[in-house]
Amino acid sequence: MKTFEEKWTAWIDDQLTGRELEEFLASLPDRSAAEAEKQSAKQVGSLLREQAMALSNADFFSHQLRERLDRENAPMRSEADAIQTGWWTIRRLLWGGITSLAVFAICTVVVFREKTPSSRSQYLTQILGAQVDPTVSPNATISMFEKKDDHVTVLWVDGLQSLPPEYAAK
Amino acid sequence: MQTEASVAQPDVSELELVKQCQRGDSAAFDELVVRYRTRVFGMIYNMVHNEQDAWDLAQDSFVKAWKSIDRFRGKSSFYTWLYRIVMNVTIDWLRKKQVKGGGTEFDDNVQLREIDPASKTVPRSEPLPHQRMERGEVRARIDQAIAQLSPEHRAVILMKETEDMQYHEIAEALGCSIGTVMSRLFYARKKLQNLLRDVYENV
Repeated sequence: MKTFEEKWTAWIDDQLTGRELEEFLASLPDRSAAEAEKQSAKQVGSLLREQAMALSNADFFSHQLRERLDRENAPMRSEADAIQTGWWTIRRLLWGGITSLAVFAICTVVVFREKTPSSRSQYLTQILGAQVDPTVSPNATISMFEKKDDHVTVLWVDGLQSLPPEYAAK
Repeated sequence: MQTEASVAQPDVSELELVKQCQRGDSAAFDELVVRYRTRVFGMIYNMVHNEQDAWDLAQDSFVKAWKSIDRFRGKSSFYTWLYRIVMNVTIDWLRKKQVKGGGTEFDDNVQLREIDPASKTVPRSEPLPHQRMERGEVRARIDQAIAQLSPEHRAVILMKETEDMQYHEIAEALGCSIGTVMSRLFYARKKLQNLLRDVYENV
């Protein structure tokens, strides 16, 4: 249910139609006075529209606004950059540390391997690498006894029918 | 709604511009500012009656719009959303100014007591001659009349008459019901008819 004010306003703005309009007009005590009021209200509207204030220096308005937005965005941006830079530094340090450790470990292994003298003689290596044919020497066994401190190695070969052809001592 | 740049770049839709703004494109926001700066300024000027204040408040409104553009979901048109920001900024400013000044200028109860809803406005007995009524004087009279309305009444009458907004758009912009908008329009018109009758009858 619309109030009188709502109906009046709708009527002024030509928003009342049909039965609603008829009922409203019928309820008016003085139709001609109401029409004069409607005309008066429309004149006020026209007056307000005609006197609307224009924006002078519109381009300067936009320019000033742009500068202000840039200014207000700048601290937020630099703060974000600072946070990002901080994280970047921490990550970089972390990766740098891990890489350095890995390089150090690889270098250490390589150097130590190179520096460790081979304790096996050429002959021993050949013996150990030799294939003993099980059909020819089924009970063949090769045992090695080694004392590195004294640089002594005893090789005990048992059950061989013949020495492998690769054997350097042959 | 006619806008400044709708003629300049009619191919770029408002919604597209808003989406670009939401992706952080400040150039798109510039375009929206160009479209609405004059109307926003004019609207605020009519509310505050001071060019410098209107300028500052229009700037504040656009800054606020830029900062909260992510919250625009497209449920209403952009200009309704923008006008809501404009009205909030302006009405807040007027309220603060009123508190500082300690005035009772916007006392709605006083206004409602002064106006009989069914009254016929009385023409001024000694109207000023049309020839003496210069534009500046008319402007001053309108400013004085509007100044006697509460911020909410100012907002509805200006959005309706100068922006040609629909009731539901005004309601959305002000965050009130359509009935409230229509009621405020009724009283604002009555008040302005009383105060400006000699002006509009002679201009």
